Amino acid sequence: MSQVNKRDRWGSRLGIIMAVAGSAIGLGNFLRFPAKAASNGGGAFMIPYFVSLFLLGIPLMWIEWTLGRYGGGFGHGTAPGIFHSIWKKNRFIKYFGIIGIFGPLVIFIYYTYIESWALAYSFFALIGKYSKLADQASMQAFLSGFQGLSKNQYFQGMGLAYLFFLVTFFINVRVIYYGIKGGIEKLCKWAMPLLFIFGMVLMIRVMTLGTPDMARPDWNISNGFGFLWNPDFSALKSAKVWLEAAGQIFFTLSVGIGVILTYASYLSKGDDVVLSGLTAAGTNEAAEIILGSSIIIPAAFVFFGPVDIQSIARSGVFNLGFVTMPLVLNKLPLAEMFGFIWFFLLFLAGVTSSVSLAQPAVAFLEDEFNIGRKKAVWIFGIIAFILCQPVVFFLKNGVVDELDFWGGTFFLVLFATIETLLFGWIFGMEPAWDEIHKGADMRVPKIYKFIIKYITPVFLFLILGMWFWQEWLPIIFMKNISSGNKPFILGTRLGLVLIFLVLAVMVKIAWRKKRIGTEKTR
Amino acid sequence: MRSGGWLFLVVSWGIIFGLTAFCFVKVFSKKEIK
Repeated sequence: MSQVNKRDRWGSRLGIIMAVAGSAIGLGNFLRFPAKAASNGGGAFMIPYFVSLFLLGIPLMWIEWTLGRYGGGFGHGTAPGIFHSIWKKNRFIKYFGIIGIFGPLVIFIYYTYIESWALAYSFFALIGKYSKLADQASMQAFLSGFQGLSKNQYFQGMGLAYLFFLVTFFINVRVIYYGIKGGIEKLCKWAMPLLFIFGMVLMIRVMTLGTPDMARPDWNISNGFGFLWNPDFSALKSAKVWLEAAGQIFFTLSVGIGVILTYASYLSKGDDVVLSGLTAAGTNEAAEIILGSSIIIPAAFVFFGPVDIQSIARSGVFNLGFVTMPLVLNKLPLAEMFGFIWFFLLFLAGVTSSVSLAQPAVAFLEDEFNIGRKKAVWIFGIIAFILCQPVVFFLKNGVVDELDFWGGTFFLVLFATIETLLFGWIFGMEPAWDEIHKGADMRVPKIYKFIIKYITPVFLFLILGMWFWQEWLPIIFMKNISSGNKPFILGTRLGLVLIFLVLAVMVKIAWRKKRIGTEKTR
Repeated sequence: MRSGGWLFLVVSWGIIFGLTAFCFVKVFSKKEIK
């Protein structure tokens, strides 16, 4: 019990809700969602989206909150220990739990770098560094110059990008150094309201754009919203659209990563998880559906028109956020201020997510090796910093995409499937139902007993199967990788295998130590 | 924007706004964590 007592705790209920919502609200809410909706049936996309939210997203959210709080009661804040607590008879299950540390660590090492671009661009916006750029080609050149992909009139090297990466990395490590209550909770309690204020400022600005060019009366804000919301019901016949909606729900809620497990492990046994989990999910959805749909796509439509918006919506998340949006904002009065608001909003969305990604690895060192927080953060910081270097220096060789595939896609779905099966089938639905409702401030509708046990796992198996055949096989066999980049991709994979093996050895050592400790006390 | 677009916008925003407002009202009226 002494180990349990030593663990950090949340200071308030709002604190953990803001932290989980902060973890979920990321760049995808403002960039990925509107682009996906516009390209997959507009308003009609919301039908599969809501179906996925209620059958996949919210059940997974409740599963992770409950498993996390349950494991925290045994002094475990990460999946190896939590899974072992659920299925004690199985000596291999803890190794499946490694995914819950490996995944967030892998995402952290590339996400922090992308987050630093947002911080850099918010600074560039304030000093007007890109304010004279007025077309896609020059803004694209500005971005690639900044990233060190090419030398041009804007940047002669990637020194500035590296400086902002260092600042961002330091901010992240500093926050987790102060712990759950003193670091993460404090950050999220001011960053989340600020993010919503910034989002609303931009939303109101976009809504009041009207028809900026009277020579083109169709390029107006009403049609901009129409581009995103007018329903195309024929899209619903496509399995791809349903899959895209399920994928968006999956990625937006930060489920299947292992982060929510860790956050919820710092709750007490009698703390509610039903209402808190639903509130965090609702907050994320408000940021996505209300703010996310009202900024970039409608604004880009007004300035680029109904033809170009088609290709813009399909141009990818980075292009939307770092090329299209600054071009749009450059056309407005007070461009510097709105540019800063946009990029600082992305930075806030990023930093509240990245600190959550760091926490499972730190918690693993603390809980399973009895290492103090500060020392654990130092160890994590040094290792993560070394692991970040290939991302920074081999960006052009596809390292980020490779890490995103394994850490941010493949293992996420796999991990969610494992924890759903563990919860509904191994733990058992009756004890699981009781566990969910311990200290609950509201009842989960009874239909969710059936949904969690049957529908959510089937949904996950479908996603796994469809993605595996349609999208993942070509990636796994490097079908679209140029021969020049193949050594880098192979090197990245080798590195990932090594990280996984090191974690597996650490789990083995930790459990052996615990066994010896238990035998000595007998 | 066509009327169908407005319908989807209003219903989607309504569901999420309603859900979030319901949750926060309940959160602020219930007990704190221990």
